[in-house]
Amino acid sequence: MATQRQNHTSLVDRSGQVRRQRQLTGKQVLLMAWKNITVRMGRSMLVTSGIVLALAFLTYIMSSDAILRSVLENAPPSVKETLSESGKFAVLEDADAQIQTRWMVGLALLVSFVGILNAMLLSVTERYAEIGTMKCLGALDSLIVRLFLLESFFQGIAGTTVGILIGLLLAFTESLFGFGWTVAEGVPLMGLVPWNGIFSIIGIAMLAGVALTVAGALYPGWRAAKMKPVEAMRAQV
Amino acid sequence: MAEEQKQNTAVANGDQGKTDEEQAKELLSSHVVRAVGLTKVYEMGGEKVHALRGVDLTVDRGEYVSIMGPSGSGKSTLFNMIGGLDKPDTGEVFIDEVDIASLDTFELAWLRCHKIGYIFQTFNLIPVASALENVMMPMLFAGMSQADAQDKAADILRKVGLEKRLLNKPNELSGGQQQRVACARALANDPAIILADEPTGNLDLKTGEEIIRILGELKSEFGVTVISATHDHKMLAASDRVIVLTDGQITKIKKRSELKIQEGTIEGGQDLFD
Ligand SMILES: Nc1ncnc2c1ncn2[C@@H]1O[C@H](COP(=O)(O)OP(=O)(O)OP(=O)(O)O)[C@@H](O)[C@H]1O
Ligand SMILES: [Mg+2]
Repeated sequence: MATQRQNHTSLVDRSGQVRRQRQLTGKQVLLMAWKNITVRMGRSMLVTSGIVLALAFLTYIMSSDAILRSVLENAPPSVKETLSESGKFAVLEDADAQIQTRWMVGLALLVSFVGILNAMLLSVTERYAEIGTMKCLGALDSLIVRLFLLESFFQGIAGTTVGILIGLLLAFTESLFGFGWTVAEGVPLMGLVPWNGIFSIIGIAMLAGVALTVAGALYPGWRAAKMKPVEAMRAQV
Repeated sequence: MAEEQKQNTAVANGDQGKTDEEQAKELLSSHVVRAVGLTKVYEMGGEKVHALRGVDLTVDRGEYVSIMGPSGSGKSTLFNMIGGLDKPDTGEVFIDEVDIASLDTFELAWLRCHKIGYIFQTFNLIPVASALENVMMPMLFAGMSQADAQDKAADILRKVGLEKRLLNKPNELSGGQQQRVACARALANDPAIILADEPTGNLDLKTGEEIIRILGELKSEFGVTVISATHDHKMLAASDRVIVLTDGQITKIKKRSELKIQEGTIEGGQDLFD
């Protein structure tokens, strides 16, 4: 019996200090976060699709507006006239329609904001019991926060990238249908696309998507990590 | 001088691999758990519920203690206090003679990870993770590598008879199998204490007895201290001591010798409540 009991470490170490749980290394946490995402693939897809939708909408609205504007500004005067006559720029010329586009961009931002925060909030709160269990098993609060930070970061990057691609695809397809490959004799559409503007739209969308996803996961995750284990385990959503 | 003496005793006991201080601690007290004057009041909509009304309890190393009591008598509340999952309003809990109220978050996490193995009435397994991953989790929290944790978890699951269900998710397992996964998880980091809150509460008699048998084996084979709550007198077979909790107070303590034990279960345990 005595020999077997040696396995049981005392709460106090050899120098009389109470033993402390160590922080895990970045690599260990990364592995855990990756496992967590893959293990709940179906569920994360659902949440991620919310991010994709929001970002596709935002990117589409912003880049479609930017392309149209650029074609109007940069097309040769003669081309501009024919296009104007065919009503292609009605959206930009009509003051009411202009305001409408502004509203659409604002709305897209709002939809992304609310949609992503809501999706992340739900996906974290439904894991409160799990967080409580993890705390009972010796997870540090900081580990739980780090896990949520990483998981949501991966999810944010994946969802945002796909969303941006879909949004761009929509915007370019729309302009192609509107103007054709060549806007007019010797004026290719791709030459009029405001590439710098498109890149900054990608940057803005990426930043917004990832930041919103991480923020949406971190706040409820941090709150759950701070709870007493029994409270978190009890928490019903 | 005293140091030297302790050292000698340690050698005499054949207890190697432990430092003087650890040895000294153990010699000072055989109590692995000591609770003093625990009270807890819950407030629900202005109404006060006295869940614990001054509970004193000491548990020796390697002892199997059953805490018995009707529903609402405060078993889970006591269990949570002893396990450092919740704090009492007044009173103290000592583990290895350290007041756990004095522990910071890192020390408390170490206690929960290494010192105590928890088994819950509702299993509390991670639903999306396999049996193996569930058992690995506390090992990973302790900093073990994935590969080592995987080997050790598979080993423990084999011991509780689940070698064929390693990759099944909790919802693909029966209640008894889920609770065995929970038992295996509780053993992950070789805890000195197993705290089991109605481990058989959601199981039928036969599966329940199987779980009790596993807990009894842990005690006898590994010298683990088991504290188990139950409201079923049929689940007392392995106990060294039965403590009856009624309305937040200890009303009866019975040693094993005072219990009538027949065919592995306790007959007439009902009179514990008399
Ligand atoms: N979080 C809480 N909030 C309010 N009251 C609580 C809470 N937890 C427990 N109680 C109350 O404290 C008392 C003791 O509860 P406890 O869960 O400890 O009983 P128990 O002996 O474990 O019962 P059971 O056998 O049903 O699990 C009960 O009256 C219960 O209603
Ligand atoms: Mg209970």
